[in-house]
This record gives sequence, C-alpha cells and structure tokens, in this order.
Amino acid sequence: MSDESVLVIGGGPAGLEAARGAADLGSEVILVEQRARLGGTPDSAGYSAFALDHRPAQEVLEIARQAVLTHPLVRVHLETEVSSFAGELGSFRATLKAADGTLTEVSCGAVIIATGFDHFDPGRETQSYGYYEFEDVITLVDAERMLQAKNFVRPSTGEPPKQVCFIQCVGSRDRRIGNEYCSKVCCGVATKEASEIRELVPDCRVFIFYIDMRMYGFWEDRIYWKAQEQDHVNFVRGIVTEITRRGDRLVIKGEDTTMNRPMEIPMDVVVLSVGMVPSEGTKAVGKMLGVAQDKHGFIVPSESALDTVATSVPGIYVAGAAAGPKDLDDCVSMAGSAAMKAVAALRRRSPVSV
Amino acid sequence: MTEIEKERIHEEEHLVFEGMDISGHWNRMFEQRVVWEHDVSALDRVTEIPGAESLAYCYQCGKCTPACPVDHVGDYSPRKIYRRTQLGADLVSSPDLWLCTTCGNCLRVCPKEVNLLKIMPAVREQAVAAGNVPPELQKAFENTFQYGNPMGEPARKRADWVADAGAPVTVLSRDPRPVDVLFFVECYWAYHPRGRDAARAFARTMEILGIDWGILGSEEKCSCDSQRAAGERGLFEMVAEQNIATLKRYQFTRLVTPDPHAYNSFRNQYPKLGGVYDVTHYTQFLAPLMAKLPWVRELPYRVTFHDPCYLGRHNGEYDAPREMIRQIPGLEFVEMFRCKENGYCCGGGGGGMWLDSFSGNHTKERLSERRVREAVETGAEMLVVCCPYEVSRFEDAVKSTGNEGKLLVRDVIELVDEALH
Repeated sequence: MSDESVLVIGGGPAGLEAARGAADLGSEVILVEQRARLGGTPDSAGYSAFALDHRPAQEVLEIARQAVLTHPLVRVHLETEVSSFAGELGSFRATLKAADGTLTEVSCGAVIIATGFDHFDPGRETQSYGYYEFEDVITLVDAERMLQAKNFVRPSTGEPPKQVCFIQCVGSRDRRIGNEYCSKVCCGVATKEASEIRELVPDCRVFIFYIDMRMYGFWEDRIYWKAQEQDHVNFVRGIVTEITRRGDRLVIKGEDTTMNRPMEIPMDVVVLSVGMVPSEGTKAVGKMLGVAQDKHGFIVPSESALDTVATSVPGIYVAGAAAGPKDLDDCVSMAGSAAMKAVAALRRRSPVSV
Repeated sequence: MTEIEKERIHEEEHLVFEGMDISGHWNRMFEQRVVWEHDVSALDRVTEIPGAESLAYCYQCGKCTPACPVDHVGDYSPRKIYRRTQLGADLVSSPDLWLCTTCGNCLRVCPKEVNLLKIMPAVREQAVAAGNVPPELQKAFENTFQYGNPMGEPARKRADWVADAGAPVTVLSRDPRPVDVLFFVECYWAYHPRGRDAARAFARTMEILGIDWGILGSEEKCSCDSQRAAGERGLFEMVAEQNIATLKRYQFTRLVTPDPHAYNSFRNQYPKLGGVYDVTHYTQFLAPLMAKLPWVRELPYRVTFHDPCYLGRHNGEYDAPREMIRQIPGLEFVEMFRCKENGYCCGGGGGGMWLDSFSGNHTKERLSERRVREAVETGAEMLVVCCPYEVSRFEDAVKSTGNEGKLLVRDVIELVDEALH
C-alpha cells in the first residue's frame, strides 16, 4: 500500500510554497507548524520581502498563507511538532504533538523539511560589540522592526540618530565562532536598511563596515549602487573591532584597510549584521528523521546540481533555510522543486493502470 | 615607520609580459606604462614554515589592527604583515618580525584564527638559524645559555635576596627536604632590585600564612618561555630539560611562580617535554588565602591594575589578582578602559623585554609608556602589577612620560606586605 500524501514540516515561506505546490499537483498535504500562525521567521520578525519591490514580508506571505489555508488538499496543524517518526519512502509514519499534548498519528509517502533558521545571537560573538550591554547596539532584525514602523531612532533616547553604522559578518565567516559560512543575505539587507535610514532621517550619516560586499544579481545595481550613488551611504572596507561608550555616545574602533589607517568614529546607533544559524527545529527534526546534517545542524542537500532538495534519506526532501542561509526567492524556488520531486517520487512508485 | 621593501616601480616604453610584448596601441592608456613588480613567493616562503601556515588565512578584514598594541605606537598589525609579505617583503629579514610581543589580542578578535602566537616563534626560529637577530636580543639568548638568566647574572647569586627577606626561606639546593610548595622565583624576582623587593614581601607573607615552602636557589634556571616566543626553541628546550631534571630531584606537591611567562611554560610547554606539574600563578595561590591574613593597616590608595598578557589572554586568569586587590583593606580600585580580555600589553612579552632599543627605533613610544598614560588617566595614584617584567618597565615609563610623583608602581604582593606590617 503506497501513500501519496506529503508531510511538510514548517510553515514559513518554504513550507508554505512546498505545501501549496504539492497540493496543486494533487497530493494530500499535512502541514505542521510549531508557531500559532503560518509565515515563519520573515513574518514574525516583520521583514520586508527581499525582492525587487521590497514589499513587507507579512503582506507577501499573507498571499501564500491564504493559498494554503483555502486549499482543499492541505490540512494545517498549528502549534504542533513532530514527536516521533519512522518508515520509508511510500510509507512513513509520524506522531504529531499539539500544544495541548494531543497526539495524532499520521502516515505519508514523502516528507519535506522546511524548518528554517534563527538569527545569530550576537551575545555569542567574540568581539567587544556589547549587544546586551549597550542599548544603542542593535541587530538587523531590530533595525528592520523600526524601519517597518517608519520610525528609526536611538533606542536610548528616542531621538533620530545623527550617525549610524552597520558592522557586517557578525556571526558569519568566522572560524572562532565556528560559523565559517557566509549568511548570504546580510550584505543586501544591511544596504537596503542603510538606504531606508537615509530616506527616513536625511541628515543622518550612515556607514557600512565590510570585508567583502556580496551583492548578487539585481542587488548590485538596485540596492548597492543605489545606496552609494543616490543615498550616499559610506562603504568602508574594514571591520570594526570594538565598541566602547564615551559619555552618552558609542565610539567604534576599526581599521580602514584601504587607507591603512585606524579609525575611531562616534556613533549614535550601531547595527550588527547578524547572520543565520539553523533553528532549533531544524537541528531537532533533522536528527529525528535521520537525515545528514552539517556540523552546524543545517540539513545537507544532495550535492548534485540537478537535485538541490534531496536529503540523505530517500523520500525526505529539504527546502529553504533549513538547508543553509538563503534569501526568500531562493527559499521559495527550492520549495517548488521539493514539492515536484516529492510528488514525482510517489507517483513513480504507484502501479500503472492500463 | 617600519621600513619594508617597497614594490619596485618601473616605467617601460614596452611592456613584455611572459615573453609577449603587450605594448600595442590598443593596450596603451598612458605614454609611459607603470608596472608594479613584486615577488609573489614571499608569502609562500613564510607559510611553508611549520607553525606559520595560518598567516595565509588572512582575509584582510582589519579587526586585528585596532587590537594590536604595536599599531597604537606604530604602523603594524597581522593584517599589515600579511599584506606586506604578500607584496614581496621578506618577513624573515624585516623589522616587523621583532615588533610583535605575542600578546595574543589579535588572535582574540581574528575570525580566521591567524595565529601570531605560533607564526612569530616559527618564523623567528628561521631568523635565529640564519644569525639574523637584533644584537640586544642575541645578548639575552647568550646570557641565558651561559648563565641561565637573560641578564647575565651569576647563578650563585640567584638566591641572594633571601638573606634580608625578614623571614626564613628554605633553599633546597642547600637544605634539601620535601616541601608543600616549590616556589619558582624566576629571573626578575631573583635578580632585579625591584623584583627582589617583591620576592621578600612574598617570603614574609608566606611566613605569616605558615606555608611549608622552598626555592631551588642557584639550581633554578630561566623557564625560557619568552626566549621560546622570541624564536630560540633550541635554547628553550635545552634549559627546560635542565629545569625538569632539577625539579625531578626534589619532592613537592605543587609549583607556584610569580612570573606569568613561567606559569605559561610550566602549564603549556613543559608537559610536552615530560615536565608535568600542578602549577599556579602566585595570585591564584594567594587569592583564596587572603581571608586568613591578619591585616594591621588600611592602605588609603586609589589603584588600578594591569593584566599580564600571559596570565590573562594566554591562560584565562583575570580574577585572582583582582580578588587580592579587593581584599587588601582600604584600597579603592578603578579599571583602565582597556582591561581583562582587551588589556593593553606592557611590551615585555615575546622577547620585547630584550628589544627595547630596537623597538624604540621603529615605534613612536614604548607600549609601557602608553600604558602608564592610560593608568594616569584613571586618576589612580598607583599601578598594581603581578608580572615580574612590569615593575621595572612601568617605573621607567613613569619617569620617561614625566609622571614621576603622580603614579607609583607596585607588585600586588608589596601591597599585601604593607597592609600586614
């Protein structure tokens, strides 16, 4: 007996698109989400969707959410986690545990893991950035929240800042922390936020301290060049080493490596460009399902260029940031591929009726 | 500042590159073509040296530069060393090789783990082998080889300070017997007049605490950790083996030393040569015993404290000396803005102790002078230290920065002693 239903674990951008895709192909979908609302981290953190139009992620994800919630083939389980798992391609069995403790046994033919990421905790960084010490040291996520509310201020005073900087690669590309990978999105997000700050607070000077600016595709001209040419954001090659407090202001200290010159600059707000780490859900689900994970806990997808979503276990696929840092477009593209591959794997197994 | 071999700049009518003349009008932006020629193998020559591989990891982020104490007084940091070497400067013959004090602050902030603590000793070893060592450092090496201490003092005078310690001190070479604590005095407490002051204060404190302890006396030789960091691995191994053989002849339960460099070598280097000891720094040994001391006076001083690099960053101990200062009655304590993990270096480590003239020719001021100005800035009247290199370094720096009368330098044990008498 072969089961053609697909279990999607995680209801963020990748999970929503995977569920919609598999259901549109005619499979029944069980979508499990541990939060009380579908939409994932971009929704709960209030990002802007990182596409050409920069619409708020909540607005974009509402479309994806409605597509899933109104689909006759998708059953959604909110505030639910997978608590046990067994079986093989065509006949997996999972126990779903709801917030009230109710257990539900479900069976499915294939699984798509879309359990996403967390933001790097800047308390873990090895520099003296003092995220938990200085009120005016914030993260990209904190800045995004203020920018979405169109009110960018110094947290300590509530006043508009005169001087703001971003420090790139916090928690990424760092052997000491153990996160050697690039988180991919922080250069783009920081530059977009820098432009937005310049628009909201026109007399505020904005700096970005970077090691390499990694601006792919349209990010180069639509985000990076715009920030430089139109918004006059100052890009300085060299990473800030430490932040100290002098009086009521922060002073950042680093090196302008192109000029071979030390710099000490007073700042009103310092934004730490924190990268991505696997979510607790990604680490736990990967382990429970027995799929290969890298040393950080990200789920390792197939190394074939023609299959970006297969895991080490037949019938289990991965989509989105559970497989490593990604922007929203890539998460959604990957989810479409995972839905197609999962449904195809099940259909191929079904007896062909003549 | 630092003379590096700059790239040679040529101007050519015709540019011939790998046998091809590429000077066609289509490729000519200016009448005279400017060509930068540098030796790209210089970096390979460094990173091929075992221990120096990680210099190749640098991705030029620049985080080390503000952390490097030498850059504050010159033009220097691991990033700059990497870039100069990449551009063809020969590190083995460059002054850059000797300015690093192996303080370890760059490694603390380096995302790629470029490890100067390994790179510097390894590359310096090549320079030592080639006989290319600043003369004053060479003298310290020779003294250590000949006399067992870098100052060239006779071994028989090593325990002379004991005579007027004001408390009995067991010298095991004269009076061999099992002791609880074997106190490894090290060279600067054994010979330097201000070091001897601290050694005597320590002896009086141990007497009051009733500790069963002794010293090796004339048989003790330099632990040689700084000679190792300065590139003399062969000398280090030879003297370390002599010390290990000497220590083997005496019975003791633990080793205590006032020198963070000696502490580092007993903890991290001697075990590799078979010398395994239960070793503590004297501040770690004394901090838990402070509550037992019968204080007789309050010391009405405002003090600040300098973290030794080899106690703090190298071995993670920041609390023990602060705990001692906290328990000495009457002291008011204030931190310098650079302290603990980010503590500034006194300039004495990694051979810097024996390179003062050399470093002076390549930097604006001594690290110890800069540190003294930071201490004065806090409003403290006393700079408290717990490394034998530091009393003399900082007292010299107090004079040379014109702060005489404004700042005193004291070993923490001298304050303990003062409050006990």
